[in-house]
Amino acid sequence: MAVSVDERAGTGRGADRALVPPRPRSLGAWWRRHERRLAPYLFVAPFFVLFAVFMAYPVANALWLSLHEWTGLGAMEWVGWDNYGEVLRDASFHHAAANTAWYAAASLFVICPLALLLALALNSRRVAAKDLLRTGYFIPVVLSPVVIALMFTIIFDQEFGLMNAGLRGLLGIRPINWLGSPEWARLVIIIILVWRWTGYIMIYFLAGLQNIPRELYEAAQLDGAGSWRLFWNITLPLLRPVTAFVAVVVLIGASQIFEEPYILTNGGPGEATLSIANYVQREGFERLNFGYAATASFILFAFVFLVTQVQIRFFGIGREQEG
Amino acid sequence: MAGTGSRVWRDRAVPLALTAVLLVGLVVPLLPLLWTLSSSFKPVSDIFIYPPRLLPAAATLENYRRLFTDLPFLRWFWNTLWVSVVSTGLALFFSALAGYAFAKYEFRGKTLLFNIVLGSLLVPFAVLLIPLFVMITRIGWADSFLALIVPWVAPAYGIFLMRQYIVQAVPNELIDAGRVDGAGEFRVFWTLVLPLVRPALGALAIWNFLGVYNSFLWPLVVMSSNDNLMLPVGLAQIYGNYSREYGLVMGGAVLAAVPMVAVFIALRRQFIEGLTFGALKG
Repeated sequence: MAVSVDERAGTGRGADRALVPPRPRSLGAWWRRHERRLAPYLFVAPFFVLFAVFMAYPVANALWLSLHEWTGLGAMEWVGWDNYGEVLRDASFHHAAANTAWYAAASLFVICPLALLLALALNSRRVAAKDLLRTGYFIPVVLSPVVIALMFTIIFDQEFGLMNAGLRGLLGIRPINWLGSPEWARLVIIIILVWRWTGYIMIYFLAGLQNIPRELYEAAQLDGAGSWRLFWNITLPLLRPVTAFVAVVVLIGASQIFEEPYILTNGGPGEATLSIANYVQREGFERLNFGYAATASFILFAFVFLVTQVQIRFFGIGREQEG
Repeated sequence: MAGTGSRVWRDRAVPLALTAVLLVGLVVPLLPLLWTLSSSFKPVSDIFIYPPRLLPAAATLENYRRLFTDLPFLRWFWNTLWVSVVSTGLALFFSALAGYAFAKYEFRGKTLLFNIVLGSLLVPFAVLLIPLFVMITRIGWADSFLALIVPWVAPAYGIFLMRQYIVQAVPNELIDAGRVDGAGEFRVFWTLVLPLVRPALGALAIWNFLGVYNSFLWPLVVMSSNDNLMLPVGLAQIYGNYSREYGLVMGGAVLAAVPMVAVFIALRRQFIEGLTFGALKG
């Protein structure tokens, strides 16, 4: 290919061109010769430039900031690992970590089973109106968390929110001060998370279920296995890769929860709903403790990293990593 | 006899009952939406009456009028729209390009580089919040739309999704044929590969758009002047400033949600299939 380009260039320059020793190739010719080898690097370059500037550097910088005391202006004061000790002893951080753990646990043990149940129901052969059902249960996923949080302000209003009105009308229960007491407020956040994420996780399980060959069930049924045995011995084991993926997604999602507590209760009452992301934002942008906030975020990072590694090992994601 | 009876039971009655339960269950995801919609047409005094009324007794458009005349709602909507469109367009291009490289080339360091792409998915945004804000401020992008767009135009999940799709959807023979015809590498990508991956591009477009349109924490910390806010931040601000005027807040929530819900209902198959392109086939 490169040769033909040179020849064409040569013919355009007159007869004496042939006597001149070969000149350095033009850039275009050089490119044509190496294109195939270099192209993939150029194609992935935009990601890696942005990754280096807007992710790798900031993460390294977060580590650096976490070793300093800094208000965001003026000089940074080196404090070594002191911030880590302080954050780990900070009662507010304990609250944030415990609340985030609650959110993660609810996601794993409430959302995932519920989503699996919905997926099983929607996957059974004779259920009608599947498109309607799938669409309806999925709708919350497309809404902004802010919109969702705002929607639920009037549902969980302490006196005549829809929830209290419903409880009073149906069960005669006196109004509950949902957002005013620590336990109820945390429960409200969890209810909203369940509302927002169940349809999303359901889709993954549904796709997983549809990938299980029907013949497996038919063969087992011939052998006399009941529905419970089918579920336990075929469905669950074959859903393992999906479950692993979902577990990682849910955990990373739970570690990022921010909008609902921020809008509904501003982390309160007290710090009953404060998440780690709320804590980092509050320390950084309301209290201007940038080093301290960076420390907390780095601890979160280390924790998420460890847990996802354990999950990945445990479920063996990556072993079937073949396109 | 008993056998046929129980078969009828299993094949007809159980699915029917299940369908009925699932249909009734739709109340859970849909009622909050309907309640928000209904409340947005109510004067404040009617939102918390008992017993609650799903159909407003005296419907009013006052909440919507105020959003458009007293508040820069349209401005926020416009900001959100164009930022979402521009960043999604760029994200499609860069994701497809890198995904193609990972799917169809052998090059030194490929495995390592691809693992970096995947690993970057595990970084919680909270880690970036502080240092990224510091950096954006230093380079003078605070309160600039560049800060909302540039860092996110080559999303790792997009690259992963495109790579997974291209591996199976684009035959190697096609690429080789293009090269034999004298097309350069980029030309092969642009004219031969891209048309074949439209379904994946569609799915990525939808999900990326949704992510930008709904994003909150980053626009909250990085944008400051009132005219530059993104819609969710603007909504949170309305709630902060007019917290007792629930009708106004619900009107804003409805207007922000309607475009996404409409697009979702129209493109629900692409939405839902797009979710599982990358994840489950890998």
